[in-house]
Amino acid sequence: MLETAIRVAPQDTRDWGEGMRAEMAYMEGHWAAVMWAVGGASVMVKEALAALLVPSLRGRGVVPDGGLFAKDASLRKAALTGGAICALASLLFLATPPFRQGFQVAMQPWYHFIQLATRDYDAPLERLARRAESRHDAEALAFCAVRLSKPGQSARWAQEAVSLDPNLLWIYAVIEARHPNSPEVRPWIPKLELWDGKNALIPLIKAQSMVRDEFHYNVYAPPSREMDAAWRAQMQAAFDAPKFDDYLDRVAELNRRVIPRYRFDDPYGLVLHQVEIQTWVEDSSERFAKIILNAGDDLESRADRKGALEKYWQVGRFGELLDSQGRTGFEHWLGTYLQSMAYKRLQAHYEKQGDAGQASHFGYLVKKFDPISGENSRFAGEAALGYSTAARNAAVVEISGLMIIVSLGLALAGAAILISAKLRPQRPAAEESKPVATVVVLASTIALLFSAATLYLTYRPYWYMFQRAIQNGGQSQTDDLRLLLLSAETLPGLSPRVYFWLHSLLYSGSPTFLFYFWTGVTLFSVIGLLLILSRHFLGRPPSGGLPHSPRVP
Amino acid sequence: MKTPRISRETLAVLERFVDRPLEWRYGYELSRETRLKSGTLYPILMRLEKHALLEARWVTTENGVPPRHTYRLTPNGLEFARNALAEPAAKRPLIQQPALSRG
Repeated sequence: MLETAIRVAPQDTRDWGEGMRAEMAYMEGHWAAVMWAVGGASVMVKEALAALLVPSLRGRGVVPDGGLFAKDASLRKAALTGGAICALASLLFLATPPFRQGFQVAMQPWYHFIQLATRDYDAPLERLARRAESRHDAEALAFCAVRLSKPGQSARWAQEAVSLDPNLLWIYAVIEARHPNSPEVRPWIPKLELWDGKNALIPLIKAQSMVRDEFHYNVYAPPSREMDAAWRAQMQAAFDAPKFDDYLDRVAELNRRVIPRYRFDDPYGLVLHQVEIQTWVEDSSERFAKIILNAGDDLESRADRKGALEKYWQVGRFGELLDSQGRTGFEHWLGTYLQSMAYKRLQAHYEKQGDAGQASHFGYLVKKFDPISGENSRFAGEAALGYSTAARNAAVVEISGLMIIVSLGLALAGAAILISAKLRPQRPAAEESKPVATVVVLASTIALLFSAATLYLTYRPYWYMFQRAIQNGGQSQTDDLRLLLLSAETLPGLSPRVYFWLHSLLYSGSPTFLFYFWTGVTLFSVIGLLLILSRHFLGRPPSGGLPHSPRVP
Repeated sequence: MKTPRISRETLAVLERFVDRPLEWRYGYELSRETRLKSGTLYPILMRLEKHALLEARWVTTENGVPPRHTYRLTPNGLEFARNALAEPAAKRPLIQQPALSRG
């Protein structure tokens, strides 16, 4: 080891290395020789680094005023200069929006464990809405209203926005589509029927609002006969409607106008909890489609082929309407699914009639519109990069964010020790701590720079996806970003089962448990810090010391 | 100009040389007397040598035994060491944690 270090050292220091190596032959004990060699190798390596970083450090002679170390730039100063440069370069990343947003995403999984509750995704919207209210900004209020998860507050903001700008009436439909069973939004249905009566979305919302239970089919309570008839009437109106408009293009226009105005850069609010048609539309549409198809089967059994075909085509037309005029992948998929249901019936119908050509044609359409493997399937892979890439990138982003925090902490701790040693040089531990603290500062600032660069480069493509989502209206460009955000909600390397076990352990207990848990963590951390500081500043007890040398007058 | 502080480890080394100013000293011997590790001792010796306060030479001791690097203060170095050691003891930091390289 020492020989290798001597080889890399500058020429003018190799004699010293050879001198150290020669002493090893006179040492008593292998362990002493090992420690001697380690010390010698470190000296040689430092000289090599010094020569590499600051060539002017070598070959200094005695300065005229006789000061031994005057103006002598040490290796420590070179290291601290390098560390300062790395820290400054790291700070520059803070000026870039991709890094800031990426860091926010990186800290997301820790949020669940530090806060006493899961992340409140409505909080950024509420802050934005307060600003919008003070400015009487109808568009910003509408932007917040269509996204908020709380129907009551959402309704209040919507009413305020529409009162400021009546052209925003369409936001009632979007909010009702999100909260169809909320009592605050039901009074808007008549206004929407007058305003856009030909839109299939309105009777769909009205039908859903008639349902007693606000949850989906698995807890749905069977309606009364009257309610069922009213529901069927509305669903029939939806299936007969000439158009389907989910108003999401208007939501996209709101995004383009409001987000830059307020610099709203929360990716969760925009992408992960974006505005889209809810799954109750699928439940209602599928249920009514089956009712119609069953009615068609009934007609066919009574030899009313024309009536049966009309029923089958009714479902197919509605599916085609959703597929062609819907904006989201879910709407396209639902339209595909309904078409597939209709074409299966039609295929079976023509097979019974002995019309092989038509049967074959509809058989082809059944495959094409198969909801799992067909061309329009939502499972055919919407994301460009895919889940595994997103999961890997999410892990890189999270780990980089964690390393930034750890490196920053170490750098600050090392800097604090160096400053303390400089201010109190008479303390016994001051000199001894300088080399270690210098190494810690340099290594941690290098790690800080590396982590910041990694986070920036990994997250930057997703930042561009976020920008495209704002420009284009949100849907088709955000699947990869959404996968990353979903993956980044759990700690890296932690399987979902372990993560949710930890999460339930922390949050299923009483608030008292949480209080004592975090109090204990804080107390132990403070005690540990106090021990470290006391050991550093007070130092260890003095040893026997050296014998006094004879004073030379 | 502000006089820079000399570390207590350097003072300990200078003290050893001043005790026997004309004698050539071995590195391991200095390490045992000052209780400094090689990683601390040799940078001090190298710095003293760079400032022409210390001289070094190779010495062959016995037949067949590898030569050893030895050190001694120069006249300038001796004067410097005596001046440094003449500072009042209260102003000089004590070595609290002697490094060791025990055999």
